Amino acid sequence: MTNAIARFELRYHLKQPLFYILTALFFLLTFSAVTSDAVVIGGGVGNVNRNAPFVIMQFLLVMSVFGVLTTTAFVANAVHRDFELGTDALFFSSPIRLWQYLVGRFLGSFAVGVMVYLGVVLAIMIGSLMPWIDKERLGPFALKPYVFSLFFIVVPTLFLIGAIFFSVAALTRSMMATYSSVVAFFVLYFVSRALMRDIENERIVSVLDPFGVSSFFLATRYWTVFQKNTQILPMGGPFLLNRILWVAIGLLVLGITLWKFDPTKSFRAPKSARNLGGGEPAPLPDSSPSARLGMTQTFGRAASLRQYLATTRIETKAVIKSIPFVIIVLLGVFNIWGNSVAVGRAFGTPLYPVTAVMVRVINNAFALFAVIIAAFYAGDLVFRERTLRLNEVTDAMPVPTWVLWAAKLTALAIISAISIAVAMLTTLTIQTAKGFHHYELGVYGKGLVLEIAPIVLLLAGLAFTLQILLNNKYLGFFGMLLYVVLDSALPALNLEHRLYSFASTPPGDYSDMNGWGHFVIPRLVFFTYWMLFTAMLIVAGHLFWVRGTDAAFRQRVRAARARLSGPAAAALAFCLLAFVATGCYIYYNTNVLNEYRTTKDSERRQADAEKKYKKFQGLPQPRITAVKADVDLDPERRALDIRGVYTIVNKTAKPIADVHVTYNSDLAVADVTIPGAKIRSDDKQAGYRMYTLAQPLAPGATLPMSFHMRYAARGFVNGQSNTNVVENGTFINNFGYFPHLGYNEHIELEDRNKRRKYGLAPIERMKPQSDLQARMNNQISREADWIDLDTTVSTSPDQIALAPGYLQRTWTANGRRYFHYKTTSPILAFWSYLSARYAVKRDTWSPLPSGEGGRRPGEGHESGEKLRPSSAASPHLLPEGEGPVAIEIYYDPKHPYNVDRMIYAVKKSLDYYTRNFSPYQHKQVRILEFPRYSTFAQSFPNTIPFSEGIGFIADLRDKEQIDYVFYVTAHEVAHQWWAHQVIGGNVQGATMLVETMAQYSALMVMEKEYGREKMEKFLRYELDRYLRDRGDELVKEMPLSQVENQPYIHYRKGSLVMYALRDYIGEERVNAALRKFIRDHAFSGPPYTTAGELVRDFREVTPPEYQSVVTDLFEGIVLYDNQTREATATKRADGKYVVKLTVASTKLRSDAKGEEKPVPIDDWIDIGVFAAGKKENLGKPLFMEKRHITKPIESFEIVVSEKPARAGIDPYHKLIDRNPKDNTKSL
Amino acid sequence: MSLELRIDDLSKTYPNGVRALQNVTLTVPTGMFGLLGPNGAGKSTLMRTVATLQEADSGSITLNGLDVLREKDEVRKILGYLPQEFGVYPRVSAEDLLDHFAILKGVHKRSERKEVVAALLHRTNLYDVRKQKLGTFSGGMRQRFGIAQALLGNPRLIIVDEPTAGLDPGERVRFHNLLAEIGENVVVILSTHIVEDVSDLCSKMAIISFGRVLVEGDPAQAMQAIEGKIWQRVIPKEQLATYQQEHAVISTRLVAGKTVVHVFADERPDASFEPVPVSLEDVYFSTLHKAA
Repeated sequence: MTNAIARFELRYHLKQPLFYILTALFFLLTFSAVTSDAVVIGGGVGNVNRNAPFVIMQFLLVMSVFGVLTTTAFVANAVHRDFELGTDALFFSSPIRLWQYLVGRFLGSFAVGVMVYLGVVLAIMIGSLMPWIDKERLGPFALKPYVFSLFFIVVPTLFLIGAIFFSVAALTRSMMATYSSVVAFFVLYFVSRALMRDIENERIVSVLDPFGVSSFFLATRYWTVFQKNTQILPMGGPFLLNRILWVAIGLLVLGITLWKFDPTKSFRAPKSARNLGGGEPAPLPDSSPSARLGMTQTFGRAASLRQYLATTRIETKAVIKSIPFVIIVLLGVFNIWGNSVAVGRAFGTPLYPVTAVMVRVINNAFALFAVIIAAFYAGDLVFRERTLRLNEVTDAMPVPTWVLWAAKLTALAIISAISIAVAMLTTLTIQTAKGFHHYELGVYGKGLVLEIAPIVLLLAGLAFTLQILLNNKYLGFFGMLLYVVLDSALPALNLEHRLYSFASTPPGDYSDMNGWGHFVIPRLVFFTYWMLFTAMLIVAGHLFWVRGTDAAFRQRVRAARARLSGPAAAALAFCLLAFVATGCYIYYNTNVLNEYRTTKDSERRQADAEKKYKKFQGLPQPRITAVKADVDLDPERRALDIRGVYTIVNKTAKPIADVHVTYNSDLAVADVTIPGAKIRSDDKQAGYRMYTLAQPLAPGATLPMSFHMRYAARGFVNGQSNTNVVENGTFINNFGYFPHLGYNEHIELEDRNKRRKYGLAPIERMKPQSDLQARMNNQISREADWIDLDTTVSTSPDQIALAPGYLQRTWTANGRRYFHYKTTSPILAFWSYLSARYAVKRDTWSPLPSGEGGRRPGEGHESGEKLRPSSAASPHLLPEGEGPVAIEIYYDPKHPYNVDRMIYAVKKSLDYYTRNFSPYQHKQVRILEFPRYSTFAQSFPNTIPFSEGIGFIADLRDKEQIDYVFYVTAHEVAHQWWAHQVIGGNVQGATMLVETMAQYSALMVMEKEYGREKMEKFLRYELDRYLRDRGDELVKEMPLSQVENQPYIHYRKGSLVMYALRDYIGEERVNAALRKFIRDHAFSGPPYTTAGELVRDFREVTPPEYQSVVTDLFEGIVLYDNQTREATATKRADGKYVVKLTVASTKLRSDAKGEEKPVPIDDWIDIGVFAAGKKENLGKPLFMEKRHITKPIESFEIVVSEKPARAGIDPYHKLIDRNPKDNTKSL
Repeated sequence: MSLELRIDDLSKTYPNGVRALQNVTLTVPTGMFGLLGPNGAGKSTLMRTVATLQEADSGSITLNGLDVLREKDEVRKILGYLPQEFGVYPRVSAEDLLDHFAILKGVHKRSERKEVVAALLHRTNLYDVRKQKLGTFSGGMRQRFGIAQALLGNPRLIIVDEPTAGLDPGERVRFHNLLAEIGENVVVILSTHIVEDVSDLCSKMAIISFGRVLVEGDPAQAMQAIEGKIWQRVIPKEQLATYQQEHAVISTRLVAGKTVVHVFADERPDASFEPVPVSLEDVYFSTLHKAA
């Protein structure tokens, strides 16, 4: 019987359109995600095969979350249907048992819910057969991942969802209650996730996630490309537990429903149908009704207006009081709260909740909710009367048609505005709660008006008119969905102009320094354009608004024709004209004043340039030895003008006849003059110009090359506008705006898939260290070695302009402010200009131990290091009269929070680096804030631009947090050594010399300041990011010493490697090697040094037993899985404790693709015993020693004199271990 | 001024092919007009068309020269309409919604509106529950609310579609009284399939079936026309089919568990049949029987 009912149910749903609509939707979504990069489901596919098992699992996993809506639609219908149609009595009076009825209905509808996912499966299978898919990115077909995902990911999740909402539907018999509970479910889900974010035990969190999303990503977060392409999630661990737990809960819920279900309770029973109107008729008044009910009716414009206002009021109130509105807004509020906790966090340290950040939080965390509210209530409002069957009453009222829809549209706008206001109140509350009282209501107002409100309103207008025109609530929703999908697919079709992307505006971010800068005008213009478009849609909505009961298309057309008269026609004509005019204005700006170029156009241009000019890559060219430049910045007009001279020298052994100059083709002027040289060819599109010299330049001979470059912004652009030259906070470097010598490989396409598409040979990311030719260039510049810079920069009188070098003179002329900078020691050919309205804070560092907290030499160093201190670095490196160093912080007056911290960090850094590496080559360290259009800090000679988005607004009030302002500052100051003193050749491993050494230097300064415990916290982040990011590797993972500019290696792994090396051989030995390395290579080249040479220096100071450690750390990709299996402690008679430990160690070697092989273990690894610590932290070490581990499982017996609490192997996880949490165990 | 609604040659075919109205011609004078017909006869289509909610394919409707099909806005100003099925905003109180409808009906003076709303709530015996949310109303209460809203304004054309469905007998009586009172000066069209409603209230009536007008006129006259032609007999249930073959059985009903048939015949069919006084119901059923 149950079977028959289930089959009946299944057949029923298969006859309904909903099943096909949903399956088609799932198919389309997945198909787009598989066949293009325009649609993304749960994180990009990256470089993994498009049909990789991981992709299949991820797609089905993410789509199963949507099951909350789709499956509920089926299972809820299965119970509601009978009650709604009144057929319940038929069923419950028949001999079917109640449980058979319920179980049958559930199974049938649940099965339909699962079948929708065949759309996803088919989409991946068919999608990967499409001819335009790169064959290189397809793995072999395998059925197993599909079967696995369906049965272990989709089915359990849908079963749980189905069980819950089937039960809610059966027990409440109310569609409203069912859908409200769906929303409540989501709210609970997101709230619980937000609350559990801080729980350290990810395993518990992941088991409790009903969708299994957390447990899936916990299990796969460190997967490499190889694993993603080949492996299925192993059944076990938290994932298995998760699945079992939730299926069990689903069964339990169903059981309760079977027990509690009461078929006699009728559907939608009136809540309190007190029939007060009872039998006895009230005495009838004897006056005639017309006399009694006499009233004056007025009609006309004023009356219509009153009707409009009254209707708006009642519509608005109805929405505000409705449950979904309240729930979605609450959901959004929670999401804001969660986001405000997470936003901009670096190493766990939050940002100050400045208004700019809060506006961004609203944009990221709430705008979508506002749009969902608008889209949902557009359908609700348009069809409200029809759903309630009140339309015949209201449509027959003496009300103009426009009042009927305009009131609804206004109500929609009002609720959108209310939801946004609630969002703003939420962030204001968050600011207050965080003790931040600098409320900038102006910034809020502008932010909401420029970034959020118009977009929400436009989409509300679109949703509203779609509902009217399509005249079916679900088609209306589907129409919105289709719009979203199509709009996001446009770029893939090479259609990027915003003239046809509804409600879009050119991108542009707020910066505290620059405000909304030049983004305001394009935004307002585009909003006007789309508002006019929406106005036309609304007029169309008016024409096709259904009034009465006749909704046949023919009839609607007839009605529309009748309504298209007078005001409606005039409005339509006006909006159309204004729309076209605005469109023309936009076109003039984006396509006439500026060049409109799609991503594909740009790529093709890059590919063409490479094809034409790559052959000149090795052509010997003169090199720049000195730069003299006058740079005039015009911030108000976003323009700059450069006139300068390079001194160019033939450093080769042969005469040079041709000089190739490359320049930014977007510049308005790019004139270059070389005495006696003729232009042989000039490719303005590629920015490639060839000169033939009158006489070949003899070896060692010099020429002046003068140039005039000019950039000026014109109007506004369709895409990303120039954010380097802005009104307040200009930050440019020489790469973009100065001319260059020789072929510029930076223009090459890097993405290997794109290269294939344009017929370009695979790129060699970096040359090997054995390539001496490549080592003739340093990592920074291919056109110069060490240069002198002499530059004068002018700007607006209220701004300060800066460039590397020392300020020689500053003056004012012609209403402009001039600054002349000059270097006194050679620098790399990498310099910058900044200009803004700065506040300045100054301080001085003296090389002698300073009074304020500076440690004396030796103090803070680890004891037990027996190496003698090295002799001073070679004297020629000492700047004349090594003395105090001036510290200057140039910052926005709004951001004074961490300026002192930066100064302090600079001092501490200088202390450590001068003492342990070499003297500082400059007399000054300057940190300069720049707008948050980019979020990084970068080190130029004596000059460190630092984004307002990271250090300046970091909230360091909680001393428990990692002070990354200190860290970043120390890292950037370290670059004055690692890059600006020693630079490697442009070969593999180059960034290890620059970035890894800066990381190490910063780690040491930090450790002295904050102690070891903080370092562990920091290194845990580094470990996690290394393991995560290596999974996204596009080409191949390199060992550290051959790193090919891969940030996860040179920063993240670099930190771990250097910290481990320091641990094995001691800080003093490491620093001795570094000192020697600087002594040997500072300010030298070409040929430039390599990471291999540094590793050799490390080996020299490393004792024989740790030589293999150096190999593993620098020359291999080695991972460990260390684990403490057993740990017990017993108290001895003498009061001491015996700790018995059994530890397991596995050592794995990975190849470049992430395929791992176990190798025999033969390593020195820490064994430690600890006293009780606070929370999950380890306490005081009672025993800590490196033990030689040679077997997979080893046991130790250790005697300690205090009461131990925890013990284990590699307790500080200095080794790379995917699961460092099981390294220690409680005793 | 006496009003007259003329429906002339009105036809309507739905996109699915259903011919809801076929050349309907009716004259509705001031007073109560009953529109009788079985379910699906086209009553509601006709009512909605008069109530400006539906277009006709051909034909015309005029109210004292006012073109109902074209000048909808003017019609709505004098229209009171109670549709057959209707819902309410569940979270609004009766008083507030009626007040809102009063605004839509053009009653803008607040004091006047208050008075009118209170009066109507009294009339429909909803005054005591005026603060209650409409979502909690029973079917009868909701129906009475519908009547109240239809009487808002000064409707001179009142269209009520199945108004007494769901009312208990007492409510029905009161509703009839109310309608009769109003019907003195305005046009009231009452669509129903309950013959009694018409016989109680209406001075004019029409019977429509399958979109056609079968009978139009005065109920009394219609009854007179078949006087002496209706015969009744109690029969065993099994023989119903035989009787239906042999006689023009216009209606069958159970009286105290026995099957009673009414037969239309000019002469007494046989002695077992006895004559009965004609009711409007007999008119109704004999008309439908003839048309079938």
